[in-house]
Amino acid sequence: MQPMGNEKPGPPNFPGRPAISPFAAAPQTAMPFLSSGAVVRSEAPGYGVAPPVRFNGPSVLTLPSSYVSPNVGFNQPFPTPHFPSSAQPVPPSRGPPSAPRPVQPSAGQQVLPPPVSFHSQPQFPSVPMGPPPQILNLATPTGNFPQSPLESSFPAPRPTPLPSWSPLESSSPAARPSLQQSFHGYPGRQGNTVTQVPPAQSPFPTHQGSYIPAPPAQSPPFLAHQGGYAPPPPLAATVGLNSRDQMQHPGTGPPVGSLQGLVEEFSFLSLGSAPGSIDPGLDSKALPRPLDGDVEPNSFTEMYPLNCNPRYLRLTTSAIPNSQSLLSRWHLPLGAVVHPLAEAPHGEEVPVVNFGPVGIIRCRRCRAYVNPYVTFTDGGRKWRCNICALLNDVSGEYFSHLDVTGRRIDLDQRPELTKGSVEFVAPTENMVRPPMPPLYFFLIDVSLSAVRSGMLEIVAQTIKSCLDDLPGFPRTQIGFLTFDSTLHFYNMKASDSFDYLLYGKIAYLFFTIRISSLTQPQMMVVSDLDNIFVPLPDDLLVNLSESRSVVDVFLDSLPSMFHDNGNVESAFGPALKAASMIMRQLGGKLLIFQSTLPSLGVGRLKLRGDDLRIYGTDKEYALRIPEDPFYKQMAADLTKFQIGVNVYAFSDKYTDIASLGTLAKYTGGQVCYYPSFQSANHNEKLRYELARDLTRETAWEAVMRIRCGKGVRFTTYHGHFMLRSADLLALPAVDCDKAFAVQLSLEDTLLTTQTVYFQVALLYTSSSGERRIRVHTAAAPVVADLGEMYRRADTGAIVSLFSRLAIEKTLYQKLEDARHSVQLRIVKALREYRNLYAVQHRLGGRMIYPESLKFLPLYGLALCKSMPLRGGYADAQIDERGAAGYTMMTLPVKMLLKLLYPSLIRIDEYLVKASAKVDELGNFSKRLPLAAASLDPKGLYIYDDGYRFIIWFGRMLSPDIATNLIGIDLSGFPDLSKVSLCEHDNEVSRKLMGLLKKFRESQPSFYQLCHLVRQGEQPREGLLLFANLVEDQIGGTSGYVDWILQMHRQVQQSA
Amino acid sequence: MAWELILWLISFCIAMALLALTIYQLMCLSDMEFDCLNPYDTSSRINTVVIPEFVIQGALCVIFLLTWHWFMFLITAPVAYYNMKLFVKGKHLIDVTEIYRLLNGEKKYRIVKLIFYFVLFGIVIFRLVETAVTSLIDEDNDVYESGIF
Repeated sequence: MQPMGNEKPGPPNFPGRPAISPFAAAPQTAMPFLSSGAVVRSEAPGYGVAPPVRFNGPSVLTLPSSYVSPNVGFNQPFPTPHFPSSAQPVPPSRGPPSAPRPVQPSAGQQVLPPPVSFHSQPQFPSVPMGPPPQILNLATPTGNFPQSPLESSFPAPRPTPLPSWSPLESSSPAARPSLQQSFHGYPGRQGNTVTQVPPAQSPFPTHQGSYIPAPPAQSPPFLAHQGGYAPPPPLAATVGLNSRDQMQHPGTGPPVGSLQGLVEEFSFLSLGSAPGSIDPGLDSKALPRPLDGDVEPNSFTEMYPLNCNPRYLRLTTSAIPNSQSLLSRWHLPLGAVVHPLAEAPHGEEVPVVNFGPVGIIRCRRCRAYVNPYVTFTDGGRKWRCNICALLNDVSGEYFSHLDVTGRRIDLDQRPELTKGSVEFVAPTENMVRPPMPPLYFFLIDVSLSAVRSGMLEIVAQTIKSCLDDLPGFPRTQIGFLTFDSTLHFYNMKASDSFDYLLYGKIAYLFFTIRISSLTQPQMMVVSDLDNIFVPLPDDLLVNLSESRSVVDVFLDSLPSMFHDNGNVESAFGPALKAASMIMRQLGGKLLIFQSTLPSLGVGRLKLRGDDLRIYGTDKEYALRIPEDPFYKQMAADLTKFQIGVNVYAFSDKYTDIASLGTLAKYTGGQVCYYPSFQSANHNEKLRYELARDLTRETAWEAVMRIRCGKGVRFTTYHGHFMLRSADLLALPAVDCDKAFAVQLSLEDTLLTTQTVYFQVALLYTSSSGERRIRVHTAAAPVVADLGEMYRRADTGAIVSLFSRLAIEKTLYQKLEDARHSVQLRIVKALREYRNLYAVQHRLGGRMIYPESLKFLPLYGLALCKSMPLRGGYADAQIDERGAAGYTMMTLPVKMLLKLLYPSLIRIDEYLVKASAKVDELGNFSKRLPLAAASLDPKGLYIYDDGYRFIIWFGRMLSPDIATNLIGIDLSGFPDLSKVSLCEHDNEVSRKLMGLLKKFRESQPSFYQLCHLVRQGEQPREGLLLFANLVEDQIGGTSGYVDWILQMHRQVQQSA
Repeated sequence: MAWELILWLISFCIAMALLALTIYQLMCLSDMEFDCLNPYDTSSRINTVVIPEFVIQGALCVIFLLTWHWFMFLITAPVAYYNMKLFVKGKHLIDVTEIYRLLNGEKKYRIVKLIFYFVLFGIVIFRLVETAVTSLIDEDNDVYESGIF
């Protein structure tokens, strides 16, 4: 589709119209009515959006396969004479009363109105122009429930002796296919539709003289209504009906007749038995499972091709409700997950735009950035902001003529007007100070446990190996501070001056250990922890390129320097303060390596969580929040100085991640926790993750703001950041692995626009020292119908918001409450959805849900069993819980879903097959349901949750494979926790390593360590694998089938 | 007699100060809400006056107790106790990191406090005037000091 299709100077009533919205025709639709004066203005927008949406729906969503095939069956029920009688439990009661009543879109019973319009129309076919306004109004709800019209309207026309009716019938089948086609591909095939619809309508002019003048450009669905021509909806309806009858009925009890004439827009599960009976009547194989991983919703970009890619911004539903009352019936969170710096695949990088002296084009009032949805008018001299609708002047340098369609002539050269994601180079007005250099400061614990676990050595080696790859050469700055019970500062200035430092202050015990020279770092020890001061404040941060040799020497000697350190204390708080004093001028990234509980000076922490009595009580939450306000205060200060903190924690004992993580939480950082770190086991993981942290592209001193159109407001934000004002997120250092979730709320008034625009702007300093603004723009339609919202929901974004809300809830409530609230919200949403259809459908023992949300219950279950929320005291270490919680607060959607529902793949067949290539794994085995029943004792399975691999050896696995893979015979019952996987000289082993490598490459944010476990090897098997098989019943939690039954029961209880 | 008057004068000043401090805190919060003040300044400004407020409120309470004004003491004591509890739990200060999330709660808390201080202020003025008038009119009479307050 050609961008900027209609830069029409056109109707000023619709200023915010997307340039190439698929509803391009909508204005015309509305106009005639405006001119006839019969239509309420506020209705028009709703209408303009709804119909296309409706017809888009089925095609966009991957509806049950039945949806397509039914076309075939369509004609059969249609002409059947007994159709009316058999199919009508409801219509008689519904048809008559509804006829004259205009329908409020928000009325509780949206389901009912539709029949009205259809029913009434055939009966009063000669009513000329009077009803259209009414019908128009009706059209909104009608569009969303195409099924019911069918049912009620069809019997009616039959008896009516309309001479022209038979022509219609005969002509309609011909028109139908084309119509349906055009509806599905609505945006693209509009022209097609327009030409094809009229023939179908030909019978009508005879009764409806007024129809003829109808503007030819009208959008098809609308035409259909006006003409009283109902086939399109019935088509859809019958389709659904047939499919359901054919495919599902055999298994379900309800009489077929009651279901005829109904559309299945939703998916459902048949739960045959009555609640309470033992046999669930539910086939666990039939339950929906996200075995293809996360599927990004395409409806979002399909409708608005200029939107940014969903990897940057995902709305929980790409249909914004138009009123508060509608929103209150959508029980899921309304919001978005923003991932501003998501890594783009090669070739799709965000284009950089430099306006140079012109300055960035922004709206005068709302400060939004120019984007593809702005419209140019007045011959190109003015542009209208799509967010606040203000008419701005186009500056002389940016001026360009418009062509006849209203497009700018230079459109092709303007990525900011054709792409949903662009990056602007910011002028000096966006700087409060010169762009900072990339700065890395390392705060390293050198106490006994750090040395003993080997952490210190690996960290030093990794940093050294990354020095060449640190971004921002040659401006990069670097600094080090180590601490145990004292603080050690290092002067690494490669200067000629030769100082012998000996400070003999009374208050400070402070002396030099080494003598500074050209190549040797100078170490200064401060042991006074109460009055922190920084010796040589100017020389502790050095330019890496200037002092490279000194830094190299330092990193080489660091492990040996503290090799014999027997100090077990940790003056973490004072060290942190000192680091912030050193960095406060410039800001930057502070990497903390901590392997013991802070025990000295400010910020010392106590061993918490030893008292078992506290678990399960109302005070349990206190263990999950920082104990000492020092950490929160410190985090706030660090953010103020543009310092981002990443915490690496290594202890095998309690380190109070809850407190330490606070530092990362409010500075946009992350927490990496390596419980019981041993260099032999975790070596690779730490190396990889630290290297990634150091070398990935980082946005420095960033702030992010999300703007949106009138009537909508972003209220709460969830993730790692600090709010600097009500809607400005301060992110001292942010990178491609961080995502943020936001929730939306509506203002009191009804949304009158048809489209709401969102614009994410991230202002940051790139490592190269350029101030840049990354802007992502997206549009979403406003709808007046709840069913539409559900249909266009995005499970990934919803689950992401759910998990963040639940984790936040654990910070002031019991775990149980957090889990319960997740379940409750899903139940409420499903109940509301059921109510939408319960009136006209005899749902019986079926659980219905929109196709878009089919995985929601499962993800809800997985969330309740995830590390931060699972079980009680014994089910997870408090530190692991905390660390997982911090991680999940920052994860992008895809990775979160992978973590919640990891993949389980059988690989033995693939490994044995000699000719198979890595890419062909899919041919051999698919992802399996996460249940113990999927595990075959003869197989070899790999479980991958994005953080680790667990390789499960079945008891009856061919001994050759095991021997080839690990070089040990499994029959000797070796302790596999001590065995590490390395490449052996045989094909099977090489293939496995190739496979692991491929898996790792596909999820580069973390390094997945490989754990081996043998069937029956307790308790490791239980801890590693069985605890994570979310579909099973684990220690008192419900399995998938139970969970569904539970939900079903709750949904029905008050339905 | 004069002592009584002085007591009420002191109470009057303290009540005024309490009112002023609470209004100041509320102003800071609403300034921040309208983006005129950043969270750092807001929290540091508010947090500097929290302790003085607690102290003088406690002092007022103690004065009433010592001067045997039961009714006034009973009114002020619960608040003093509440303040003390907050202080002991370390929750008396505003948390700068979560200030936006807590904004509504903090405002409500301070508005309730403001209303309470207003009531207190009214009572104190009443007693002050009453005492002053009585002492002026009934200089010769020994009949004073009655009523509920």
